[in-house]
Amino acid sequence: MQFALPPRRSPHTLPLSRSSRMSSYRRKQLKSAAVLAFAILSLIYLVRYLYPSASPSVAAPVGTSGVVIVTLLDRQRFSESYLKKIVANREDYAKRHGYTNFFASVSDYGDAVGDAPMSWAVAPATRHAMATYPSAAYFFHLATNALIMNPTKSLESHILEKGRLEDLMMKDVPIVPPDSIIKTFAHQKENDVDLILTQDSEDLNPGSLILKNGEFARFFLDVWFDPLYRNYNFAKAETHGLDHIMQWHPTVIARTALVPQRILGSYSSDSPGASLDGTYKDGDFVIQFRGCVDTQGRDCAHELEPYYKLWEKKRQSD
Amino acid sequence: MTLSRSPSPHPGGGWSSPGFIPASGTTSPRGRSPRSLSPGTPGDISWAAAKAKSEEVRGYPSFSTRNSGFFSRQRHKISTRFSRFRKLSPREYVDKDDYGRDWKRAGGGRSMLGALRIPIRRGRFRLLFALFLMWIGYLFFWASIVQTYRGSPIGGGNKFVIILGSNVEGGVMEWKGAREWAIERNSIWNKKRYANKWGYDVELANMLAKKRYSHEWRESWEKGDVIREAMSKYPDAEWFWWLDLNTWVMEYGTSLQHHIFNDLESHVYRDINAYNPLNLTHPLPEFWLDDLGRALEGDGKGDSLNMLLTQDCAGFNLGSFFVRRSAWTERLLDIWWDPVMYEQMHMEWEHKEQDALQYVYQSQPWVRSGVGFLPQRSINSFPPGACGEGDNPVVHYQQNAHDFVVNMAGCMFGRDCWSEIYYYRELSNWLGRSGWERFRDGLGDVYDRMTGKPPKDD
Repeated sequence: MQFALPPRRSPHTLPLSRSSRMSSYRRKQLKSAAVLAFAILSLIYLVRYLYPSASPSVAAPVGTSGVVIVTLLDRQRFSESYLKKIVANREDYAKRHGYTNFFASVSDYGDAVGDAPMSWAVAPATRHAMATYPSAAYFFHLATNALIMNPTKSLESHILEKGRLEDLMMKDVPIVPPDSIIKTFAHQKENDVDLILTQDSEDLNPGSLILKNGEFARFFLDVWFDPLYRNYNFAKAETHGLDHIMQWHPTVIARTALVPQRILGSYSSDSPGASLDGTYKDGDFVIQFRGCVDTQGRDCAHELEPYYKLWEKKRQSD
Repeated sequence: MTLSRSPSPHPGGGWSSPGFIPASGTTSPRGRSPRSLSPGTPGDISWAAAKAKSEEVRGYPSFSTRNSGFFSRQRHKISTRFSRFRKLSPREYVDKDDYGRDWKRAGGGRSMLGALRIPIRRGRFRLLFALFLMWIGYLFFWASIVQTYRGSPIGGGNKFVIILGSNVEGGVMEWKGAREWAIERNSIWNKKRYANKWGYDVELANMLAKKRYSHEWRESWEKGDVIREAMSKYPDAEWFWWLDLNTWVMEYGTSLQHHIFNDLESHVYRDINAYNPLNLTHPLPEFWLDDLGRALEGDGKGDSLNMLLTQDCAGFNLGSFFVRRSAWTERLLDIWWDPVMYEQMHMEWEHKEQDALQYVYQSQPWVRSGVGFLPQRSINSFPPGACGEGDNPVVHYQQNAHDFVVNMAGCMFGRDCWSEIYYYRELSNWLGRSGWERFRDGLGDVYDRMTGKPPKDD
């Protein structure tokens, strides 16, 4: 038998075999790299899948800043000279702190409010302010019967600052004084707060409230202004409407903080129903002449006068 | 023992005795059975053969450590087959002048062959056995594997929970008869079967009439509480699908993801004017609302859809609807029932919570941007008898279109719930026949036609 080329172990095969070994080594490397890459990629995918990006926050939309002061001007019940003073008061305050004023004429919302008392206009007016200044962070509604007495206090340093609100919040207290079984949440954090209110000795006080722009604000104002509440003939109209919502709807209380009355709305000494330590003292942020319009024998302009003078003096001295 | 188990350096097998040519193990030609190595062959040659034999006796194949992998076995096979084409005798590897060792080595090659022969056969057998096992495994476990996958976060099935309102008014208002029990049993079976297939969860809501609700005048608003409970029970789920008891899921093969949620925006209409039996004013005209409040289609983003509803001929229908876990939904569930609203409206709200929802949608602008409407037949087809006798293609179940869900709405008022459920159960089974069943039915039809029998009416 003849065999053409007997196989041999020649030195030539060595480099070949080495190279093949090298390539197999390379291949192994590549393979492990590929496996690793695949594992990492699938891990990333899994993680992204299991923990999708944080759910859209319920807080105000990004890029919001500033405060809008909402004031309702009721030309039917208040004299023009009185309103002028109120406007001057608000404009001064806004200028000091870079806030924006939103003056709403109550009569504009006559159709919306319908047969109900015109004090309900606070809800659509605030909503209107939100529509007009969609990038504002906070809306501060201050009733027509209220005067800012300490304009040097900015809302931020006075209430909104981090840590400040946490100190002010009244937790686990009855929503409607004195003995409502529904209480503010004991474990609420300031980050959960979208609405800041005070209460007097009987009710919540919508005359001065701070509302954070966002989903909650829309929800809250729309619920508050629901036609069935307006038509219900609550004795104190929107005030009782607010009491009612707070007590029956936990999603509202969950975002609401109560602060002591004198932080946001001290009552003048002529106004009945101030909470314990709720009557105006010198240096308080705001004074409310509550009931000065509707009560017989009281005159808002007259009650305003001494405080307005005080405020003017303060303004000039600063 | 350690020696006999030591691995051969060459993939694919072969004991490498010293001096062996590297390829001899793999390129050994035509196999011979180890029996050919009779005791007559010289002892030192048959060392490997003896090894192989003893391995064989011991009952497990030699080289098992090398050949255990599927691919190495295949490669081995390929290489052995390849050697056949080369038609080389083992002798060619041997130096001529070394004749004495030559045939010995050839014998060694043969013995090698003998040793290899068994693994090949066994490998083939094992391969078949493995295939058989896989087939059995497929038959028995594939469905559950698929279900597990679908139910996992990757499959996405755990994002959905079906809430089935059962035991409606049970226990207090009326005794349940055989038909009511049958409806309940069947309806639950139907939802469970559908949910199992796609890895969803089914939550049975016991709508037992409770004193609590009648005391608070909240009967039939329990839905809200039930949904809330389900939300805390299934913390991973995103969408909650409420189904009344008198519903039937017709198409088991349709997943919710495919049917609606993969492309949510394209299935939903937000502008109620597209179908507006209640004649609601939309969009809201109030000048003091923001753009979102007055928007025709909300913000237009799928993320803001928090409730998916259908409308029947008379307005909103809550026999079959979806809500998404969100702050919006919590608020809606919270505001849905309110004592002041109820006190004023309970005489007018004939359909209770359904009317209340309609009212809230109508009167509170924040609700509109979160609600999307689905065409009725996509999740809530009606049988004839609900919303008119005729075939209204917007409302009524269309067999040819393979509608997803039938809702026997209002069957308790003058219609027969059980017979309707039964009819749709059978129809669903018939529509969902397997290919084989269709074939058999087709043959039956042909046979009937040939023998002149009138075709059966299904």
